[in-house]
Amino acid sequence: MSNYASPEEYGLADLLCCAAAREVQDNEVVFAGTGLPMVAILLAQKTHAPNLKLIFEAGAIDCRPPELPTSVGDARCDAGASLSSGLYDTFSIAQRGYVDLGYLGGAEIDLYGNVNTTCIGNYLAPELRLTGSGGNPDINAFAKRTVFIMVHEKRRFVERVSYLTSPGWRVKKWPGGEWVHRSELYGASFRGGPSAVISTAGVFRFDENDGHMYLDTCHPGKTPAEIKELCQFDLDTSRCAGETSPPTKEELYFIHDVLDPDQIFIPKVKKA
Amino acid sequence: MSTNKRITLQQAAEIVKNGSSLTFSGFTIWRRPFAIVYELIRQKRRGLHLIEVNGGPQSEFLVGAGCVDIWESCWVGHELYGKYGANMSRKVINKEVIVEDYSHAEMIFRFAAAAQGAPYAVTQTSLGTDLHNPEYDMLGRAGRRDGKRIAKQKYIFTEDPFFDAGPQVLIPAVKIDVAILCVQQVGEEGTVRVAGQLNSDPEAVRAADITIVMAEEIVPEEYLRRNADQNTVPSFEVDYILECPFGAHPTGVFGCYDVDGAFLKDFYGRTRTQEGFDDFAKEWIYGLDHISYLEKLGWSRMLNLRANTALNYRPRN
Repeated sequence: MSNYASPEEYGLADLLCCAAAREVQDNEVVFAGTGLPMVAILLAQKTHAPNLKLIFEAGAIDCRPPELPTSVGDARCDAGASLSSGLYDTFSIAQRGYVDLGYLGGAEIDLYGNVNTTCIGNYLAPELRLTGSGGNPDINAFAKRTVFIMVHEKRRFVERVSYLTSPGWRVKKWPGGEWVHRSELYGASFRGGPSAVISTAGVFRFDENDGHMYLDTCHPGKTPAEIKELCQFDLDTSRCAGETSPPTKEELYFIHDVLDPDQIFIPKVKKA
Repeated sequence: MSTNKRITLQQAAEIVKNGSSLTFSGFTIWRRPFAIVYELIRQKRRGLHLIEVNGGPQSEFLVGAGCVDIWESCWVGHELYGKYGANMSRKVINKEVIVEDYSHAEMIFRFAAAAQGAPYAVTQTSLGTDLHNPEYDMLGRAGRRDGKRIAKQKYIFTEDPFFDAGPQVLIPAVKIDVAILCVQQVGEEGTVRVAGQLNSDPEAVRAADITIVMAEEIVPEEYLRRNADQNTVPSFEVDYILECPFGAHPTGVFGCYDVDGAFLKDFYGRTRTQEGFDDFAKEWIYGLDHISYLEKLGWSRMLNLRANTALNYRPRN
């Protein structure tokens, strides 16, 4: 236990980054997007999963970037990669079923892990247009597991997302729009779905049978009751297994001294 | 066609007509053909139909300048320099631009179908999402599905007839009038050599009716043919070429220069409103040409972006 950092030594971004890194196992094939997920996956590569295969959807495959890329199309992604090509390869690899894990984000998430990155409000008359889907629905459709990293606010943890950009455990069957379990809809291409949500309040997982999100661990200082109050849906807190493990001193060293010394994605905590 | 494929920036922009469908090289904030994008804005091109595997600053500039009627893609923003496309957002809310959403994989597979001369592709991605919601077929709602440029249907849902693998989605091939690329090297006859990630360049070229390649340098064709295995696009798929160093600025080019993040941040911060965009365009687009744009940026700024040619990027420390 003594290897864990004390509360004043790390910030929320460090905690999220380490929790995200621990979702990957060695030798897995992983898709990561721009931002905190990049640091998380490179942290896993430096610690417990040195043989993970990292894919950036812009075209760099099995990457070992020597310096933190600032986006997935960055020239830094190519250095040390097994293959530098393009999106036809990365998404074909994903559809073919090679990908174990994907890191994603979103503006809104619902009880079933459906995520919205497209717009706020009615799609036909939006209040705000966001970036759009990007590869979010693709990675979520193709990977065996996906991990969402989210800011936890009540307006973001909703009963129904304004627009279902990325498929969770219960989804709409078109053209009619009936709600079905994703295993019914995906047929032979069903491989899994969202496995964890790491928010700024806690870590959440899904019951694969009913497709419902439940609270797994609370971040230090948060209680299950507080977190339940931060969700518009009725969050199951009965399976809460305690507190999210804090970063270790070794993990903090890799984040701040090796991977992101310039604080591009992860700010440093000021020493008291 | 004459064997001389060289044209000027002005001529490149003139090839794109009002109402053309258009696509670009690169990925989000990398290898976007900005010098031609700026020239399209100066020439006041209107009614463009952008069909992009993914959008980026180039979409935001063209949309902000009022050049675009339809944007068919999956994503627009500036990566960490601006979290969404503020100009696109404003024009979608005001119904000045029609946005047709597909997923990222759907877009690349639609380009791949067009590149192989197939009318459609088949995929299992994005099942169960609102991308597939028939109510959200925006080009259909606008009565624009003519079965020529724009497919008669946005999606067709079907079942695997060969192996019983279950639900499948048919997605229409893209119809691209002009593809504009920004690359490191092109030969006199049109052979293209992209260094670093290819993104969706090979599919974009093959899908398009006309391809314009703007390169950091035009090199002897014979030089590229000495190592044909390193080339990206064969000569005859390219119709026009031009040389334009730093032509991708503010986006980056592998091995040549990094993304100008400060420029993109400034653009994102200042162009939330139409007045803000117009002001930015007055400062950085109108009344300038490529050389005066580079002079305005200045040597120190450009040298600070220059990539180390051994690393292919500019090391931070």
